Amino acid sequence: MLELLAFGPDGWGDEMLRGAAMTVAVAVLAYAFGLVLGTAAAAAKLSSLAPLRALAEGYTVVFRGVPELLVIYLFFFGSTGAVMWVARQFGYVGYIELNNFTIGVLAVGIISGAYSTEVIRGAIQTIPRGQLEAAYAVGMGGPLVFRRIVLPQMLRLALPGLGNVWQLTLKDTALISVTALAELMRMASVAAGSTREPFIFYITAAVLYLLMTTVSQAGFAWAERHYSRGVRRA
Amino acid sequence: MIRSIGVSAAVALALAAGGAAAQTDGVLRIGTEGAYPPWNFTSPSGELIGFEIDLGNALCERLDVRCEWVAQDWDGMIPALLQGRYDAIMAGMSINDERRQRIAFTHGYATTPAHFVAHVDSPYRELETVEEVIAALDEGAPVSAQVATIHHAFLEQHVPGADLRTYETQERLNLDLAAGRVEVGLADSSGWDDFLGSEEGQSFGNFGPGLTGADFAIFGEGVGIGVRPDDTELLARLNAALCEMAEDGSLAALTEEWFGFDASMPCPTMDRAAVAE
Repeated sequence: MLELLAFGPDGWGDEMLRGAAMTVAVAVLAYAFGLVLGTAAAAAKLSSLAPLRALAEGYTVVFRGVPELLVIYLFFFGSTGAVMWVARQFGYVGYIELNNFTIGVLAVGIISGAYSTEVIRGAIQTIPRGQLEAAYAVGMGGPLVFRRIVLPQMLRLALPGLGNVWQLTLKDTALISVTALAELMRMASVAAGSTREPFIFYITAAVLYLLMTTVSQAGFAWAERHYSRGVRRA
Repeated sequence: MIRSIGVSAAVALALAAGGAAAQTDGVLRIGTEGAYPPWNFTSPSGELIGFEIDLGNALCERLDVRCEWVAQDWDGMIPALLQGRYDAIMAGMSINDERRQRIAFTHGYATTPAHFVAHVDSPYRELETVEEVIAALDEGAPVSAQVATIHHAFLEQHVPGADLRTYETQERLNLDLAAGRVEVGLADSSGWDDFLGSEEGQSFGNFGPGLTGADFAIFGEGVGIGVRPDDTELLARLNAALCEMAEDGSLAALTEEWFGFDASMPCPTMDRAAVAE
């Protein structure tokens, strides 16, 4: 039975590994995209401008409140229409579509970003206002305050939450298999169907997912220690 | 590699949904699942293979277009067709009225027949034609089928005199057949694969002809190519090419190759006339 997982043209080992690599690629890009979105949305939520706050609020309510699979379906079937509509405004009338990889990264990234928003907002809010006022008083500009005062303190508090978001993001990529992007879950189901040996391939996929999550968890544990250097354990 | 849709966020050349996309750019994009052997599946080297892949490529050759295969998960198969991700579905999709409400189908190109199975020593194994089989079973023969299947319905309608026993699952039916508690079983030929390939199934075999929708409407219209309802020209061309392949025997040869028996469906009479013209 294990020869099914062999490498080369007669086994599925290389396909499964390539699927895992695709999963990592989608997850990393989606997570990074989500962090950017999340930071922006967190800033918007803490902004003094009401429309910005409302926009960010709407974003987190919608994308945390709708099932992930539904978001992916909406992107998968909606993106073509949306992109073509935009193109038509510029006078282009051909058929355009986003590829599955882009759709997957966008959909998972937007969901990931909604969760990151709340984690980042919570962490920023723990920083005493007085520190920011002091920083501005000594003449620091906005970006410098963020880099020197906010980021180091915020990361320490946000990392456990962001580690959770990473694991969610990694697992959400399995849902993109519905778009037939050749990631780990899709490869497992194709191999399971084609060989009529579902058990071995789904177990292999589970082991690969566990491997990815445990390795990345170790990374987050290191980062947490790194950013907690200046804080004594009580 | 499984062919995914497009390589980057690039512009696909085909025209938007509807119209004669296949005809204008010389490419016919066919959506398939790639995980349903022997219809369409994936080789360990990642290539799409199977009966429908060979059939689709043969059809493209006859239509003088290039086939482009698009792997698609089963759940999104019909929506993606309607959206224009591909122009045709060849994914072991049975033609039925529910699906007909959303997409159009060519006539069926293949169907796995229903088979009667009995012990090799059973006298029923001598029977050859459908009429003989029905007449013999109708005299109170112990016949079994899985409950609420088309096979169950067929036996009720056409063999009312048989001693019909129904089972919740094919496995239980197999067990009773092996134990000699029931003499004859009727199920889809692919449903028999596990039993006939097993040790207990060694001394069993099918008898009589395989029954399909061509014999009795109840067995359905087989598996066909799905296209968008407004793609009438593509539909007509695919139907004509399928009829050509049914008439010259190449369709039957392809099914022999992948199923081990002739699973092809004949060209419906009205289309046959159209080809002759």
